[in-house]
Amino acid sequence: MKFHHTLAIGALLCAAVVTAALAQQSINSSQMATSLANVSGNNRLSMTGAQMRQAVLDYIRDNPGALPPRPMSFPQLEGLTQFVVEVDFDFNSAVIKPSSYRTVGAIADALHHPLLLGYGFLVIGHTDSVGSRQSNVVLSQRRAEAIREALVDPFGVNPAVLEAVGMGEEQLRDPAHPTSGVNRRVQLVNVGKKFCFGRSGEQFLCQ
Amino acid sequence: MKRTAFVLASSILLAGVSTASAQTMSYAEAISQIATVCKNDIARYCKGVPLGPRLRACFDANAARMSPQCQQTTGVVYASITRRATAQRDIGDVCSADILRLCGTSFADANLVTCMAGLAPQAMSPRCYQTFVDTGWATEKARP
Repeated sequence: MKFHHTLAIGALLCAAVVTAALAQQSINSSQMATSLANVSGNNRLSMTGAQMRQAVLDYIRDNPGALPPRPMSFPQLEGLTQFVVEVDFDFNSAVIKPSSYRTVGAIADALHHPLLLGYGFLVIGHTDSVGSRQSNVVLSQRRAEAIREALVDPFGVNPAVLEAVGMGEEQLRDPAHPTSGVNRRVQLVNVGKKFCFGRSGEQFLCQ
Repeated sequence: MKRTAFVLASSILLAGVSTASAQTMSYAEAISQIATVCKNDIARYCKGVPLGPRLRACFDANAARMSPQCQQTTGVVYASITRRATAQRDIGDVCSADILRLCGTSFADANLVTCMAGLAPQAMSPRCYQTFVDTGWATEKARP
């Protein structure tokens, strides 16, 4: 158990510190699955995707300016297991570059891992600061949805366990360098067990 | 006796066939083959088409014009992806009796894969074994 914990924290730190090194080729789906499965207790997301999207818009309205004054905090996401990957899109577009196909496939491999059966996930898109804050919310939402769409078809992830949310530039990873590539990323968040399984393999909503 | 021998022989045969049938690729491996082999064809015929159902439709619509290598790769890759996704979706149904009987656990137990991977192929029904192989779980898990 201790070992798993260390592994997950290691993976998270890695993800947080060296996104660039986590580029396409080096994504390991088993490691991603193990990290994402490291759920402590009964942690669940206490808000819906729609509420999160609204919270982002409210934050921009309440904190106007060319750049967010500080990264928006999302206390509801703290304590939830997550993994950060880099997916490249065509400029100002929601089309995933072929060079990132492997990464999307690796996410699908991880989400299909037996350890993660029945769990729900947020697919959160983040942009850099190029463009207006509002348009970046829209762009990151479309990008998160593009990833969700590919995970569902052809990779067969159950659409009912995936929710796409675009946070635009409201959570820059490197606020000192707002246009830097490290800010463009996709965050996968385990929002807790959604489906449980019966003895004959049948699936039903937990609780 | 004769009947037992026949049943035994056919299950070995079936197991043999199952083992011989190609394994499915991981999704990462499968889709990166398309990205590599079809790079030029995507740029020419499917530029701006999102990965997902629309990319596949684009490949289908342009099959006659695509390079033979890309055409062949998309065929093999989508077949593998579909087989793996179907197996991962259906294994709970297909194997529930075997899982309960041989592993004493219900589907989606954390030890399920370890148990199934440790079973002799003949112990499971041929369909369950093939489905388990197609999920890729045993080989994925074995990877470092």
